[in-house]
Order: sequence, then structure tokens, then C-alpha cells
Amino acid sequence: MKKLMRNYLVRCQSRKGWLMACGFLITLSIPVFAQYPGYNAVIDLPLFKKKFKTESASLLSIHSTFTQEKILSALTEKITSTGEFWFKRSNKVRIEYRKPFVYLMVMNGDKMLVRDDQKENRINVKSNKLFQQVNRIMIDCVQGTILESKDFTTKVFENDKNYLLEMTPSSKALREFFQTIVLTVEKKDYAANSIEMNEPSGDKTTIFFTNKKLNTQISDAVFAL
Amino acid sequence: MRCLLFSLTCVVLLGCVSDYRHLLAVQSDGSCASKIAPLYMETSWYNTSVDVLGKHMSGLLLIKNMPDSSKRVVFTSEAGLTFFDFEFSKEGNFKVKSVISQFDKRSVIQTLQKDFELVMGLPFQKGDYDRFIAGEEVYFGVKQKNETAYFITNKDCASLQRLEWGTARKRKVSVQTPGSSYPSPEKIDLIHFTFNMQIKLTRIQKE
Repeated sequence: MKKLMRNYLVRCQSRKGWLMACGFLITLSIPVFAQYPGYNAVIDLPLFKKKFKTESASLLSIHSTFTQEKILSALTEKITSTGEFWFKRSNKVRIEYRKPFVYLMVMNGDKMLVRDDQKENRINVKSNKLFQQVNRIMIDCVQGTILESKDFTTKVFENDKNYLLEMTPSSKALREFFQTIVLTVEKKDYAANSIEMNEPSGDKTTIFFTNKKLNTQISDAVFAL
Repeated sequence: MRCLLFSLTCVVLLGCVSDYRHLLAVQSDGSCASKIAPLYMETSWYNTSVDVLGKHMSGLLLIKNMPDSSKRVVFTSEAGLTFFDFEFSKEGNFKVKSVISQFDKRSVIQTLQKDFELVMGLPFQKGDYDRFIAGEEVYFGVKQKNETAYFITNKDCASLQRLEWGTARKRKVSVQTPGSSYPSPEKIDLIHFTFNMQIKLTRIQKE
């Protein structure tokens, strides 16, 4: 009887150990799936980077509409804005907010134009390192050069339709604004689907690109400063 | 030389003239004050432009009434980055919940704190106003340390003209609400008189 009891206890202990090991493994694997449900980590990152660079280089222009959602998590507040977006390789971006406010931002190389309902400002982004970095992020995200950026360390995930790039800022200056930036691009054309900017406070802003027209003719006048 | 002395004397004398010299203290009028005092502001988003010392910036400002009766003022860029998040508690305490380094200066935060206290009518919550008449206007004042917050009505108490922060001699800040007034002003224009700063807010109709 004693022997039977001892065997039972050993079996229980080994079962407990097995359960603990399983639990530990589950705990380890949960963050990947919990954070980005349906996505798996891309294992061969150098190969992905090479392919990403080649494929996104063929993306010469984007003209789309967009919806931007800013969520203030602690205040349970959300503001949604919509507008129109243009990109032309290389380094030309125009973002025009139309509703519920009017605001225009044009980036053309090292120069930037900002127009609100009161004034128009021309900025040389070279004179402001932070402006230069923030400007660079948007351009790098849409033209597919973000993986070459030294400002971020990047993890890449995929599902059957999209790639998801989670970028963590390396510099202290950028970490003040962003905890991570999450970019999703479509596998079929490598065009950005959404850019999610997560702030250290827990607030986040997501831009969803819709009605995308790729590689159409866009006049340089659209990006005139 | 005589001319120069005369000019200097004029400048000195004019500099000493109080902006509130015309105020005539009168007995308090509780009925007008309770009817028109800007004691409450509805939660709203505002399209915002700020001009300070020749620099211009814009963004979106949220003024929110929280369930615990505190108020939050959050300023973000149009593209979504949060510049600052201030909390004004029911008990009168002020807390910086978050601020980016460009705004994180004592003088900037104190200025913005006082500006938004006035915009939200917080100094007037205590009641017990001193009442003054100046021409066609009636001033209701609440003292706070060495400054006084005023809300100013027309003579028959039909409309709120503006809000002000002032010292004994100097008008420092004025807030006007062209268009609809409290509790949900469509437009808010804030002007500083001791240095060059203006804040213009236009309420956003959320979709």
C-alpha cells in the first residue's frame, strides 16, 4: 500500500512538473499571439528585409483616403479624423485633414509646409532634429525604407495577408513620443495598410489607409511648398 | 532737455495708471452672479492655435469633465501626439499627468495652468464675489493670492462679456467667447496683455 501511495505521489509530482513546464511555455508564447492575434513571428529576418526592400522599391506612388483615430485611453476619449493622402517616391508626402478640422502637411525632401486654419508655416526640417526624425518616420513607413532606419529596432510578424512591423525607438528623443510604432503592409503590394503610434502614456493614434491607388501619375505640384 | 523730462514723466505716470481705476465697488448682487457665472464647461474638443512671442503652433485641445468631478485638459498635435495632459482636481489641486520636454518649463506650465483655470471658470466655483461697476459693465471678482479673477457682464446682466485675470493695477489675461457662451462656447479667444501670447479655440463637431 505504501509503495502504491509513493508511486501515486511521484506520478502526481511529475504531472505537476509537466503542467508547470507547459504553463511556462504557454506563458512564454502568449505575448506574441496576445499582442498581435493571428500573427506569427517572421523567422528569417535578413531574407524578409531583402525582399521588403526590393518589393517596396517598386511602389512609386500612393494616393488614398485615410481615417485617423486618436484614443486617449485613461480618459476613454476618441477623436476620428479623415482626409486624403499622397506619396511620391522619393521623400514626398502630402497629408490633408478635411474633417472634423482642416489641416495640411506637405513634406518634400528636407522642407515641410504646415497650414492650419489660421496660418501657413514653412519649416526646414534640417534645422530641427526632432522634426527631421518624425518626418523621416512617416516617409520611411510609406516608402518601405523603415527597416533601414537606425532610429528603431524592429520585430516582424506575418499572417496570410499582411506583414506587421513593430518598431521600438532606439533614441531617447523618440522614446519620449513613441513606445512603439506598428506598421502593417499588404503582402500583395507592400503598401501600408495602417500606422499605429503608441505613446508611453498608453494613448495611441492609428492611421488607416483606404481606397489606395498605387503607382498612378501624381503631379509634383501636389507637393509644392 | 525740458521736453525730454516732460516725456519721461508722462511715460512714468501713464505706466502707473491702473487698468482697474474705473472700478467702483458696489453691493454684491447674488442673483446676477448665480445666473451668469461661468461655472461649468461641457466636455469638448477644440481646434486650437497658439501664437506666442512670434511663434505659431496648432493642435487639438480636449477639455473633459471626469467622473470624479476633476477636469482634464489635453493638447495634442493634429497627427495625434500628446503634448500635455493637465488635471484640475475638484479640491483645487493641479497635476501635470504628462508633458513633453518642449513644454516642460515651470513658467510655461504655470501660465497654461492659470489660462485654463480661467477658461474653465474654476476661480469662480467658490462664489462670494466682490462686485464693481465700470461704465456699462459689471465686474464680479474673486481674489486669489495677489491676483483677481473677474467675470464681466453688461449692465443689465443679460450677457457675459469676458473673463479676466488681473493684479491690482494690471489686466493680465482676457477670455472672450464670441458666438455661443458657457457651458459650451463655440469659440474661445484668450489674450495675454503682459507679453505677446494668444490662444484661439474653435469647438470641433465630432462625427
